[in-house]
Amino acid sequence: MNRFDRVILKVFLYELPIILLYFISISIFGLEAAAQRNSYAKVWYDFGGCFVFGSWMVVSLCLSMRLTVSASCREKVLAKLTFLKERDEREVLLTGQAAKNTMLTTLAILLFLFCLSCFQISIYQVPPGQAVDGKSRVLSLGLQFDFINSTTKKPPQTDGTLEKENLVSYTALPLSSSSVIIGLIGWQIVSYNYLMRRAMK
Amino acid sequence: MTKSTAQLKIINRLHVYRAEQRLTQEQLAKAIGVTRATIVAMEGGGYNPSLELAFRIARFFKTDINAIFSIEEESE
Repeated sequence: MNRFDRVILKVFLYELPIILLYFISISIFGLEAAAQRNSYAKVWYDFGGCFVFGSWMVVSLCLSMRLTVSASCREKVLAKLTFLKERDEREVLLTGQAAKNTMLTTLAILLFLFCLSCFQISIYQVPPGQAVDGKSRVLSLGLQFDFINSTTKKPPQTDGTLEKENLVSYTALPLSSSSVIIGLIGWQIVSYNYLMRRAMK
Repeated sequence: MTKSTAQLKIINRLHVYRAEQRLTQEQLAKAIGVTRATIVAMEGGGYNPSLELAFRIARFFKTDINAIFSIEEESE
C-alpha cells in the first residue's frame, strides 16, 4: 500500500463523519433554509455540501479504482472490512474453503437473479369477442435482455385491436441495480464470515 | 485397472510430546508460530499440518518427524 493509497483512505474515512453531520443538519435542523438567513449556516452549507461532499465523491471513486487494480491495497483495506483472518496455515486453508463456497453460492445467486431479470410472464384476459378457440385467457412468456439501460420507457406492446386485462404480469426484477449490488456486497461478507466461523469450530 | 482405495490416516503424538515438555497449548502455539486453535485441531485429529509445519514441530521437540507423525491405514 503506497502513500497515495494511505492518504485517500484517510481522507475517505475522516470525511465520513463530516458528511454524516452535514446530512443530519440538512434533514433535522433545516440547514438549507437557515443558509439563506445566517452567514455561518451558509458557510457550513457551502463547505459541507460543495467542498467536503464533492471531494469525498472524488476520493471514493479513486479508492474504488485503486482497490480494483492494487492487490496490496485490497489486502489491506478489504481484508479488514470483511474480517478476514489468516494468522497461520490452517486459517489460510479455511479462508480458501470459505471463499470458494462463498464464490460458488454468489455465482448461483447471480444466475438466479439473471433468470429473474430476463424472464417475462403475463397472464391476461381478452374480451369474449376476441377469444381464440373459445379461450379468453392468454399466457404470454418472453425473454428480455438489454445490454445497456435505456432511459426511455418502451410503450406497452398492443396488438392494435386487442383489449387486454392483465391478470398476472411479471417483467424483470423489481429491484434497482444499486440495491442488487449492495445486497450482493452484504451477502459476500455475511456468507464468508458465517462459513469461516462454522469451519473454525 | 486396479485402484488403491485404502484410506490413510495421519496420527500424531503431539499431545504426548507437549505433556512431556510440560507445555501449554498456548506456549507450543507461540513457539511454532501458529494459533492455539490450530494446536487444538491437530491434537484432536481435525487438522493435518503441512510438511513445513510438521518439520517445524519436529525441530522444536528435537526429534524425528516420524516420531511425532505416523500413517495408519484405515479399514473400510
